[in-house]
Amino acid sequence: MTTEVADEASSTAWDWIYRLSGYVLMQAVIVVICALLLRQSPPEPPARYRLTEAALVDATGERVVGLPHHYPSRFTLNDPPLYHLRFERPAGEADQSWSVFLPRFTNGVEVAVNGAVILDSRRDPEANRPDRNTPQIAAIPAPLLRDGANLLTVRLFVWEPLTGFLDRLYVGPDDDLRPAYNRRTLLFLTLSVVFSSWQAILAVILGIMWLKRRHEPAYGILAAAMAIGTVQAFVSTPPVGQSLYAGLNALFIASAPLESAFVLVFVFLFLGLKLPRHAAAIFIPGLLIVAIGLYGNPHLVRRSYLLLGPPTVGFCLVTTAIVIARTAISRRDIVSLFLGSAVTVVMSCWIHDMLSVLNILSDRRIFIARLSYSALLVAIGAGLTWRFARALNEVDSFATRLVGLVREAEDKLRESFAREEERTRAAALASERTRLMRDLHDGLGGQLVSIVALSERSGRDGAQIGEAARGALRDLRLVIDAMDDIDGDLMLALGSWRERIAAQLRPHGLALDWRALTPEGLPVHPELRPWHVIQILRLLDEAVTNAVKHAGARRITVSLETIAGAEGPGHGRITIEDDGHGFALSPDGEAAASAPKAARGLSNMRKRAASCGARLELASSPAGTRVRLDLPARFPATEQAAR
Amino acid sequence: MAPVSDGQPTSAIRVLLVEDDAPTRWRLHDALAAPATFAVTTAATLAEARAALGETGPQVLLTDLQLPDGHGVELIRETRQRFPQTEIMVISILGDEESVISAIMVGATGYILKDAFPTDIAATVRDLVAGHSPISASIARFIVRRTQAQPGRSPQPALNTTRLTPREIDILWGIAKGFSYADIAAHLGLSRQTVPGHIKSIYRKLEVNTRGEAVFEALQQGLIKL
Repeated sequence: MTTEVADEASSTAWDWIYRLSGYVLMQAVIVVICALLLRQSPPEPPARYRLTEAALVDATGERVVGLPHHYPSRFTLNDPPLYHLRFERPAGEADQSWSVFLPRFTNGVEVAVNGAVILDSRRDPEANRPDRNTPQIAAIPAPLLRDGANLLTVRLFVWEPLTGFLDRLYVGPDDDLRPAYNRRTLLFLTLSVVFSSWQAILAVILGIMWLKRRHEPAYGILAAAMAIGTVQAFVSTPPVGQSLYAGLNALFIASAPLESAFVLVFVFLFLGLKLPRHAAAIFIPGLLIVAIGLYGNPHLVRRSYLLLGPPTVGFCLVTTAIVIARTAISRRDIVSLFLGSAVTVVMSCWIHDMLSVLNILSDRRIFIARLSYSALLVAIGAGLTWRFARALNEVDSFATRLVGLVREAEDKLRESFAREEERTRAAALASERTRLMRDLHDGLGGQLVSIVALSERSGRDGAQIGEAARGALRDLRLVIDAMDDIDGDLMLALGSWRERIAAQLRPHGLALDWRALTPEGLPVHPELRPWHVIQILRLLDEAVTNAVKHAGARRITVSLETIAGAEGPGHGRITIEDDGHGFALSPDGEAAASAPKAARGLSNMRKRAASCGARLELASSPAGTRVRLDLPARFPATEQAAR
Repeated sequence: MAPVSDGQPTSAIRVLLVEDDAPTRWRLHDALAAPATFAVTTAATLAEARAALGETGPQVLLTDLQLPDGHGVELIRETRQRFPQTEIMVISILGDEESVISAIMVGATGYILKDAFPTDIAATVRDLVAGHSPISASIARFIVRRTQAQPGRSPQPALNTTRLTPREIDILWGIAKGFSYADIAAHLGLSRQTVPGHIKSIYRKLEVNTRGEAVFEALQQGLIKL
């Protein structure tokens, strides 16, 4: 027993480990795919226009550096470094317009050709956002260019929190450079605007959903995360020190920690997990940065951001990934798996960005964490909308099912109503019968009994009167009996008939044999009506009367049986036999004229049998008479004419 | 109950006959005329019958239900309470279920028809004293149909059939369908002699505990409505 439990526990543990390793393996594959994709270099113009060497002039003096170049300072607005680059323009290309293309730099550049400034990126708000990977291109006015050697000067402005960076430059014909510029713009600016727009729309939809469904805070949380992201994306951030909105600016800087905190809370709510007790603490770093931004100086803001921002984002990302992984492993559902994979993608991008910021990963300093995060949010929003639509469908199908159920209940009600009516009808019939019986009992019955009693006292003359009165009483009982509700079981009617006949035969010294040849006797006929019963009982009465009065029998045998049919349940047969001397039958089955009274009786029996669709068969010999009544498989609803 | 030997009582059976219709009363009295077998006292009203019950009560009470000064059911109930040993039968014109069942519920164990042949009447009373309660097919039918009916649906009287055993119900079915005791016994694997005992047991189970006045009141209400 104990071993079994242990086995079970260990098998569960093994199962869990097996699932965990499966999940981890899958995420590892995703990380590898991300890494391979991130190694793809972004669009670049032809290499022959590339400038990779510059003379750097700054406070420390002049030196030759290779591009891309990381400038270690975090702040150079007052004393920016200068990069001097030389390029040749072939003599034959004077009629072509030339441009300078800067694929990537942080944070601002001022570009001059042969001493004349042609571009200041600080005037472009998009370019001031280090997280946007904004490329810049500037056409060089033709008069500035000389055939042969030209001088390109790039002044690099750096403001916190990032250090300075200048990627390789391209100088060449505009036609050759612009396609790469356009593709980069599409990838890093337009796409991010598209995502942000989706985010804005989803924020509105989810916000409305939350307003109408306050008990589902997940919608509200996600709407808040999206709203912050949207504001961050669309409100421009001017370089430090130049804005009156330094406080507001702080809010946008703090957006990443705040958003990641919101996403973490959302994931808890979405997966239906219980929020940890101090979950609200995850918002503290973001709010702290906002507070410093509102009341402290810009330098402090950036310091605090560097200190609090990335760790918070990282913590949130890792926690989110762990929470989703645990759910995905224990629940094994597709939603958690999808969510987990998406978070893994975002995390890979974020780590890539962090390595890039810290100059550990020497590359082009392309930041993609925000882009992937936006994509993640849009995917989640789409998923929620899909879930919402599915819920609506469920409501629809529930309504349909409800309609079906109501219809079913209605049908049942109608059925039970019909049954109730039938029952009421039966009860009415029963009470009618009771009333009639009481009437007959008190009136006619009492009178007839008195006649019987009186006739017996008046000696021999009264015998016939008494017999007639007894006959009338018998008839009365037969009618009342036939009216009883016997549910089509003719055996029940015959049970009472047997008693009456036995009482009638006893004074004559006749014995009655009652035989059921098949265990159940006669089959049940649900369509049996009182008039059928009366006809059959009277027919049997007459058969017995004939045996007693005309045949001089000593013993009468009544047999009941069910004759199995070729198909269906078969039909009932009642046979009455006597051991009398019989009577002569004419060739057509009628009694001979010599027995006129019996003949009348026989013709009556035939009529009765025919009226309820039964077949009568007579056989008479000096050894006795046999009356065989074959009941129909189904009694007719209306009386049949005698054939 | 009187001791019985060879189906013949050692002394005359004391019978109280209550019937208001004089010719019928005479007729029934004549049917029980054999002096060695029966000692018949007659009464025409409820009051006379109460007086005739005496201190010890008769062995057999035969009573009509409709009496000039009251209902036979009251007499049956009183007799059943005072003299539990007395066998009671109802005298019925038609043997209709309503009146017979009412009588059974207060303690009667069968009925005789007013127009029954004298020999049958004497035989029935003798059988009753010997412990063979008669039951007719129509009464058996009424009882078994009531075992199938849902409560609250049936008309008066409110017959309680819940105490009947399946075997007893089988016996009632057999009787309702006209089978003889011998047939029923053979079919159910019983001894033929035990069937009358079962029938008596059925009667006793259908009897309402008449000490419960409320039940009796309800019964009377039902009878008045009949």
